[in-house]
Amino acid sequence: MSNSKLCWPTPNGRPGLVPTLSLLACILLLAISASAVELDFGRIVTAIPRMLAFAGNLLVLPDWEYLPILAKNILQTIEMTFLATSIALVISLPLGVLAAKNTSPHPAVFHATRNLLSLMRALPELVWALVFVSAVGLGPLPGIMALSFVTVGFMGKFFAESIEVVDQRQVEGVVAQGASWLQLRTFAHFPQAFPDFVGTVMYVLDHNLRAAAILGLVGAGGIGYDLVMAMRMFDYNRLLPIALSIYIVVTLLDRASDHFRMRMI
Amino acid sequence: MAEEIIQRPALPKKPFNPTSVWLSGWLALIWLIIVDLELSFETLLYGVQDILEYFSRYSRPNFDDLSRYVELLGQTLATALWGSTLAIVVAVLLAPFAARNLSPNAVTYRIARELLNFMRAMPDLLLALIFVAALGLGPLPGALALGVHTAGFLGKFFAESLERVDNGIYEAVTASGASRVQLVMYAGWPSIQREALGYMLYIFDRNVRMAAVLGLVGAGGIGLALHDTLRMFNYDQSAALIVVILVTILTIDYLSTWLRGKLN
Amino acid sequence: MAKIIIKDIVKRYANGFEALKGVSAEIAAGSFTVILGPSGAGKSTLLRTINGLETQTAGTIQIGEHIVTPHNLRQVRSQVGMVFQHFNLVDRLSVMTNVLTGRLSHRSWLGSLLYLFRRTDLDLAHDALIRVGLTDKAWNRADKLSGGQQQRVGIARALAQQPRVILADEPVASLDPVASEEIMGLLREICTRDGITVVVNLHQVELARRFADRIIGLNEGLVVYDGPTGGLDRITLGKIYSRNGDLVDEQLETMLAYA
Ligand SMILES: Nc1ncnc2c1ncn2[C@@H]1O[C@H](COP(=O)(O)OP(=O)(O)O)[C@@H](O)[C@H]1O
Ligand SMILES: [Mg+2]
Repeated sequence: MSNSKLCWPTPNGRPGLVPTLSLLACILLLAISASAVELDFGRIVTAIPRMLAFAGNLLVLPDWEYLPILAKNILQTIEMTFLATSIALVISLPLGVLAAKNTSPHPAVFHATRNLLSLMRALPELVWALVFVSAVGLGPLPGIMALSFVTVGFMGKFFAESIEVVDQRQVEGVVAQGASWLQLRTFAHFPQAFPDFVGTVMYVLDHNLRAAAILGLVGAGGIGYDLVMAMRMFDYNRLLPIALSIYIVVTLLDRASDHFRMRMI
Repeated sequence: MAEEIIQRPALPKKPFNPTSVWLSGWLALIWLIIVDLELSFETLLYGVQDILEYFSRYSRPNFDDLSRYVELLGQTLATALWGSTLAIVVAVLLAPFAARNLSPNAVTYRIARELLNFMRAMPDLLLALIFVAALGLGPLPGALALGVHTAGFLGKFFAESLERVDNGIYEAVTASGASRVQLVMYAGWPSIQREALGYMLYIFDRNVRMAAVLGLVGAGGIGLALHDTLRMFNYDQSAALIVVILVTILTIDYLSTWLRGKLN
Repeated sequence: MAKIIIKDIVKRYANGFEALKGVSAEIAAGSFTVILGPSGAGKSTLLRTINGLETQTAGTIQIGEHIVTPHNLRQVRSQVGMVFQHFNLVDRLSVMTNVLTGRLSHRSWLGSLLYLFRRTDLDLAHDALIRVGLTDKAWNRADKLSGGQQQRVGIARALAQQPRVILADEPVASLDPVASEEIMGLLREICTRDGITVVVNLHQVELARRFADRIIGLNEGLVVYDGPTGGLDRITLGKIYSRNGDLVDEQLETMLAYA
């Protein structure tokens, strides 16, 4: 055996069984699913000129008269995000307490709440928005309902997880004072979980802003409607301002939330 | 007695507690928003009644078309899988450049970061709209859109994990004369292996949910079917579709929770 | 102020380990008692059973006129202050709020939801802070204090309860010698001046000798000595600190040499 032969740092010089099998399984899965996504590199290559042409089309002067409406709709998107997150926050706090192993009054309540929460976050906002639009009509209201609903599912779960990792010793310190069930939650669990809660709220705000930006697609308010219309009507002089303003707002919140999270730690 | 009270060492001045200010500011803002959006509670109250009646229409799911739904579902899952794979490939390539301690210089760091930011900021549905316009209808533009958008997330997560790795590990590998690529391969990725797997699972999870609605813009999958049945007020079939989507997403949710538990 | 009667306490943990194997003792009202024993003897278990943080497998605890049951725990705890080895303060709350948690058993659920207290509660907390000499730190966050200061907040929290009994589980085990001295002196002073019954777990013989009226020696879940401090001689200490006939604490060898 020549010593310059390449080998892996394993006992027999060959790749391990588990990594090899996992890799093969992944490749197999991708190969099987390739036909389902109608994968076709030729199609992608031929689309490149069209993409470039599209990008070229975007470079036109904006539709100045539309800009005030754009501002209004962006503001509406932000308002929907904020309101939906606030509503969800108020509902998620008690649900989070019920869904945390160490603060839930009973294991049955714990399991029931956990399942309820995963049911609420299972379907994407857009599906709920579709349903709520059919129920209460077009406008921001169904959008806010859909956002709040799904957000409770996420926020309640995150809150519960933060409550579960609080320091038990600090809790015991308050237990020994004869605190009641509720007092324990407000004076021992809540202060400890608070920084995590802030992190969660920032994360969820971020997520909801992105979601709110596309809810308009199904008529549930916000900038999404203008976006789809501009796309469908080839209003290139609106498309770029819309995309740009979404980009700016999302990026600003993203930075703000990073900054805030750093400070809380 | 009175004397004793006077001699009590007084408490220092209580520092200002901003909680009440934050709280009232928050409430005021909510009020302003409610007024500005012209949300009326009456609508909501009537709405609640209507909604209960409305939801009752979904109580008879019709599974006659189940085989078609399953096929669409397969397409949705495939879209999510390919989208996630694309995201992973792009993120793995970009993340080392977007990690402050591994990036060759400040310029590549900024470029990589901004690129990831940009990908993250573009909503995937918007990307899907664009790709559908360029590539035509079908799941392929959906997978591309998911890939581009979530590569932004995954790349950021990876980069932040790579930055958090104990500097001593990097120094030890550098000290043995490793090149930058070797540093990334032997100190970077192995150190964040578990975290990275967790993030990938999370991204796949998210992409399945998203793939389920991409159909709305013509990017394949089960979403389009739901859109159509809802638009035709076909409640029985809509209910069946919702059940199918729900069961799939819950299954994947449980699977990934289980997997994550095993990883830790 | 209140006498504690411990009767035939047996404690078996969920894993089957029997930490207390039938412990009985009577602790006089207003006395300063030290429970002495090597680590693992069951001291913490015994102390935590007294205010119901652990539920005994058999036996009864009586504090004053009340027998401790799972149903009157809140009432019992409102009369029993507890001081912990690791202070167990809520880190992110201010010193003042931590002391005020000693008043929680007197507050309604609605008030507590909004973090509201009465002026009288504030006065009691203020007095407690004066007693431990920490008025100037009242609005600092609890985790920003030194260990000795945190333990004094722990004592103030217990004092704010206006308790009849204070239980202290190794209150000085995480402190340096100077702070240990301060804390033990403070507990002793509280016992003497307010007539509060104080029970302290310790593993340091030296401190026990200096501060206690009475010592209960615990070893492997059994009382091996119960009597005045003066009765702590070589043989007794040997009994408290032996396991299977061997001394368990290396420090004790030197300590016994001086005894
Ligand atoms: N929750 C528990 N479950 C099982 N065994 C325990 C538990 N807590 C304590 N023990 C055991 O009980 C014995 C007595 O513990 P403890 O009362 O803490 O002793 P001390 O405070 O005297 O050091 C030890 O052997 C310990 O391992
Ligand atoms: Mg102990």
